[in-house]
Amino acid sequence: MIVCVAVVGHQNNPLYIQSFTEADDALKLHHIVHCSLDVVDERVNNPKKSGPTLNETFLGLLYPTENYKVYGYLTNTKVKFIMVTTDLDVRDADVRNFFRRFHAAYVDAVSNPFHVPGKKITSRTFAERVSTIVKSFGLNAAG
Amino acid sequence: MEEYPEELRTPPVALACLVGCPDFHALITGHLHSQQPPINTIALPDFSKISVISKAAKENPATGLGKPVGGILKRDWLSKHRTRVPAVVAALFTSDHVSGNPAQWLQVCTDLENLKATIQGRNIKLLVVVVTQSSSKDDTSEDRMISLRKRAELDSKNLIIFVPDDPLELKQSLNRLGTACAELANTYYRDEGRRVKARLERKNFGSIELNIRYCFKVAVYAEFRRDWLEALKMYEEAYHALREVVGISTRLPPIQCLVEIKRIAEQLHFKMSTLLLHGGKVVEAITWFRRHINYYRRLNGAPEVIFLHWEWLSRQHLVFAQLLETCSATVQNVPTTVTVPADKLTEWELYPPYYYQLSAHYLKEKNSCLEFAISMSEDVGGIYGSVESVVASVYIGQFARLLEHEGTYTMQALTDDEYARYTLAEGKRFQDSFEIIALLKRSFEAYNNLKASRMASYCGVQMAREYFVMAEFSNAKQIFENIASLYRQEGWLTLLWEVLGYLRECSRGISSVKDFIEYSLEMAAMPITSNAVAPYFRDCGPAGPASLSQREKIHKEAFGVVTGESGTALSENNGLKVNGDCPLYLEIDLVSPLRVVLLASVAFHEQIVKPGARTMITISLQSQLPLNVEIDQLEVQFNQSECNFIITSDRKPHLAAISHVHPGRRVETAPTLELLTNKWLRLTYDVKPDQSGKLECIYVIARIGPNFTICCRAESPASMNDLPLWKFEDITETIPTKDPGLAFSGQKAIQVEESEPQVDLKLGPSGPALVGECFILPVTVASKGHAIHSGELKINLVDTKGGGLLSPREVEPFLADNLHVELVGISGQECADHSEANFDNIQKIQPSFGLISVPFLNVGDSWSCKLKIKWNRPKPIMVYVSLGYHPHSSESSSQKVHVHKSLQIEGKTAVTISHNYMLPFRRDSLLLSNFKANRDSDHTPTLPFNETSILIISVKNCSEVPLMLLSMSLEVEGDNSCTIQPQEEEFREPVLHVPEVVFRKVFAVIPKGNCSTLKMGTVSLKWQRDSGVGEDFHSCPTTSQVTKHRLSDVNVELPPLVVSLKCPPHAIVGNPFTYSVTIQNQTELLQEIKYSLDDSPSFVSSGPHNDMTFVLPKSEHVLSYMLVPLGLGSQQLPKVTVTSVRYNAGFQPSTTSSTVFIFPSKPRFQVSDVGETRPESITE
Repeated sequence: MIVCVAVVGHQNNPLYIQSFTEADDALKLHHIVHCSLDVVDERVNNPKKSGPTLNETFLGLLYPTENYKVYGYLTNTKVKFIMVTTDLDVRDADVRNFFRRFHAAYVDAVSNPFHVPGKKITSRTFAERVSTIVKSFGLNAAG
Repeated sequence: MEEYPEELRTPPVALACLVGCPDFHALITGHLHSQQPPINTIALPDFSKISVISKAAKENPATGLGKPVGGILKRDWLSKHRTRVPAVVAALFTSDHVSGNPAQWLQVCTDLENLKATIQGRNIKLLVVVVTQSSSKDDTSEDRMISLRKRAELDSKNLIIFVPDDPLELKQSLNRLGTACAELANTYYRDEGRRVKARLERKNFGSIELNIRYCFKVAVYAEFRRDWLEALKMYEEAYHALREVVGISTRLPPIQCLVEIKRIAEQLHFKMSTLLLHGGKVVEAITWFRRHINYYRRLNGAPEVIFLHWEWLSRQHLVFAQLLETCSATVQNVPTTVTVPADKLTEWELYPPYYYQLSAHYLKEKNSCLEFAISMSEDVGGIYGSVESVVASVYIGQFARLLEHEGTYTMQALTDDEYARYTLAEGKRFQDSFEIIALLKRSFEAYNNLKASRMASYCGVQMAREYFVMAEFSNAKQIFENIASLYRQEGWLTLLWEVLGYLRECSRGISSVKDFIEYSLEMAAMPITSNAVAPYFRDCGPAGPASLSQREKIHKEAFGVVTGESGTALSENNGLKVNGDCPLYLEIDLVSPLRVVLLASVAFHEQIVKPGARTMITISLQSQLPLNVEIDQLEVQFNQSECNFIITSDRKPHLAAISHVHPGRRVETAPTLELLTNKWLRLTYDVKPDQSGKLECIYVIARIGPNFTICCRAESPASMNDLPLWKFEDITETIPTKDPGLAFSGQKAIQVEESEPQVDLKLGPSGPALVGECFILPVTVASKGHAIHSGELKINLVDTKGGGLLSPREVEPFLADNLHVELVGISGQECADHSEANFDNIQKIQPSFGLISVPFLNVGDSWSCKLKIKWNRPKPIMVYVSLGYHPHSSESSSQKVHVHKSLQIEGKTAVTISHNYMLPFRRDSLLLSNFKANRDSDHTPTLPFNETSILIISVKNCSEVPLMLLSMSLEVEGDNSCTIQPQEEEFREPVLHVPEVVFRKVFAVIPKGNCSTLKMGTVSLKWQRDSGVGEDFHSCPTTSQVTKHRLSDVNVELPPLVVSLKCPPHAIVGNPFTYSVTIQNQTELLQEIKYSLDDSPSFVSSGPHNDMTFVLPKSEHVLSYMLVPLGLGSQQLPKVTVTSVRYNAGFQPSTTSSTVFIFPSKPRFQVSDVGETRPESITE
């Protein structure tokens, strides 16, 4: 189950962060997302470690922590997507698929002429769409 | 890791035992220990003590097969093998005893037999050492030795002769002993390992527990042999076997069973990790660790002792982090070893801080569970009483009650309930907060070293929370402050909210009002607009969930404190007081996070203003606080303090607030000074600057209530940064001023001009200056409206091309006169009213700079001086003259007024002098060198020796002004080897020399000396400006200048032949005249001359026409012709060609020299005596 997704801007500032959990750990999830930015920086600055994945937007598993796994994605415009899941066995293909759909939703949201680049995404449509994608991720994994 | 027993933490070391001859034990022990690999020793002084290594009475495991096993591993098995059960026993006998009397020999034999009997049960290897002195080495009986060896059943290499008193032999003996010991120990451990392994292979064990135990034993024996691969394999096998026990073992009650299994797993895993990491297999070790954790994490155990599980997990991570740290110190290239499962391992898993952090996390989990369990158990009843005398049992991971019964101790198994109470009681004894902080600190530091600042911050937050819980507010505050800056910078609102919430409470805890207010205001001004309290934001720090209502609450609380209005118990109790005794003063600068609380943008409406004129200024204030703020008084401060003014609110008279005010300050009133959220409060006033220079608004100070002041640094709207945090928000941006142009270009500073100077500064005419002369430039200062007090005149000479007054090539310091132009002096300070009273004669003159003080001038007076500028080379320059003065007598109060003037002056060369030589008219000398000179291009002129030559000096006026030439002279260098006429000439009256005209002067030169080269010397021309031309030069005394020109050297040579033509200057048509050519031979040789005459249609000629003749030495020959002119006007004479055969040189008179003018009849003019006149000056 995905518990948190985030869009992070150029100055490592959150543009959109939403947790999908009933437990009271939203703050902790924010911390986890924030910490994962270190890994993104590390991967982006030392790309030789991920030699074959050069030019790839999907950054893979960023780091496992107590009960979560954090995945990352970096768009060509250097906007970061972070996803936190509680599933221990996640197929890479599922995550890639999730990020692709998430990216599409993001592109649509920022294509809104009233959206100012670099500002937080406040679109309700975007939030609904993300929520759908997150839910369907759970279904796919189950199925 | 420290809590593990020593024998587990360090690799096992083989053990040997020494018996007998205690004198040498220290020596041998030292040697064995220093061997590689080392061997530890037990030293027994004599054979009576050997029972310590004998096998304890124990039933054969084979016989006990049916009996259930008590546990998996015995607690003391490892330490027993490391400290008590030797692999080798070395029996030491002296040679005296061996080869001594039969009683002694018998004693030796008995000891040996006893020893053998003792060690047999354990298969311990035997080594016999015979100690002998080097002198009595050969005395030892050979038979006895053989007999001894046989008795001991030894190979000959295991019977060692030990010679202690000879250094060389001692060394050899020790080496032999060491080798034998090592070999035997190796054999022993191998045999033991094989023995146990054989049981494993035969599946000769009754239970899985024994299987694990055997695997463990084989692994340890392999470690003794340093066979790491085998050891690792067997540990892995044991680890796998252990998993089979999980859930099926019923030997112990379930809680204790799981505890034991985890304990064993921990130990096995520790061994494996150590072996892997020291073998450099970091990735494998990490993969193993991950599997280990993933498997056992699920085995939580019973809920009442779940804290044991967390503790265990925490310990796993801690130990692994420590192992990783110690081995990464030795194995440097950790990241490069990432090979196979790179996609499975992420960056931080390779570094210890990741594990430290998790360890701290689990420890924290344990703490909370433990607290819960304790509180539960206290409800149930006392946990004491039943936990006494519980000790660790003989098996690892088990506990038992020790019962004393009539002097003997027996172990009694515990029930799970008893065990749980025991662990609770144990848990209560330890305080883990410090441990958590220590772990987090390590992680924090390590992450910082890895430049992972966000990870470090998270660790920092956790660490600071612990400090906060422990009420160590200053520690917590310090850490939180550092972290807050990162979150501020990156705009993570929820995280910042939490941290600021803690900081607020910390400030309250340490009674720091200023910090409390600052953090409160910052929180209140944070861009959190949602009001929905999300249910999942429960665990969100002391500030509560981030929401608009919470912001408002914090806002109210903060303002309650600063105004002192709210007498809430909260502020009273904690010493958070703001009153007359301790007023609060906040300063907000350009980088302060409090800019969101109050932002002051100040813009002048103009960029430049005249002093004394009014200009408009707009002060715009903005606040992001959630509630409106009423400001009582605003003070605007400038760098020119007399412009400062105060704005008070019209709504209520705040006399109390005004009491701060400097008397005499301007006070304005505004209808309202209320700040609305995210709305600009714009106030426009005028200011009247009096002083010239920069007028800058520095601070806008807001006073709220009598004791609260916010001093906000003014910002220019043109260069205003975005608001921190708010810049990421999707809100409409407003501009600080109504006029958008001003919002984009407005500045908080304005330039105040100088007051208009009312003084004229005049520079004299800019006629071109001439090189060499002292150019005089008059400067006039005339006061029109201002009196001049302490005026100063500055003069600067600057190259018009921007450079200095030197050309780059000439900037050598040793050249004294390398300046092209220099200011020589300033003269003629004529004060109009001659009041020299307060005239300090400051005068500073440097080549390109001059400073002179101007005396006091009243309105209407004038003063002038003259600048003397000298040009050494032609160069155009700019003369900058600036006058600075005070219009009023009191210098300090008034500002200096400056007047600037500049003038470009061209420096020009006045005259150029050139010269050339000519031979006399119609007289030519044959100069042989001229023929040669034609070939090479050496243009040194050649003059005939002892003949008159003509030197023409041409002087050209290059300047734009007429000059007077005064005299010209020729100074010959050296001896007078030539005659020059005239030597020097003062012109009878100065020759007026207008521009662009060439003046020529003719000198006759007769070389006399017989040297081939003649130095001609220098021409000196004395001239001066023509003062007669109505220019205003009467004031400057015209001084004459001398221009010099050096004449080039000439060659002098004796001409062998001189040809001169003779004919009258004019003729009359039809009248015959004589035309003769004289050939003068100046040599001592006979000269053969060919000559010919060309016919000319204008003349009828008679005379030799075409012939050859000889000219005798030192004599001359005259060719004489009679000519009758036929044509009129200027006619060419018939051309005579003379050729010297000897020199192969021909002579033809030039066209000018062979021209004669033919008159139709005799002209009427008189010809004066030519011989008498001196050479004339001709002006063209």
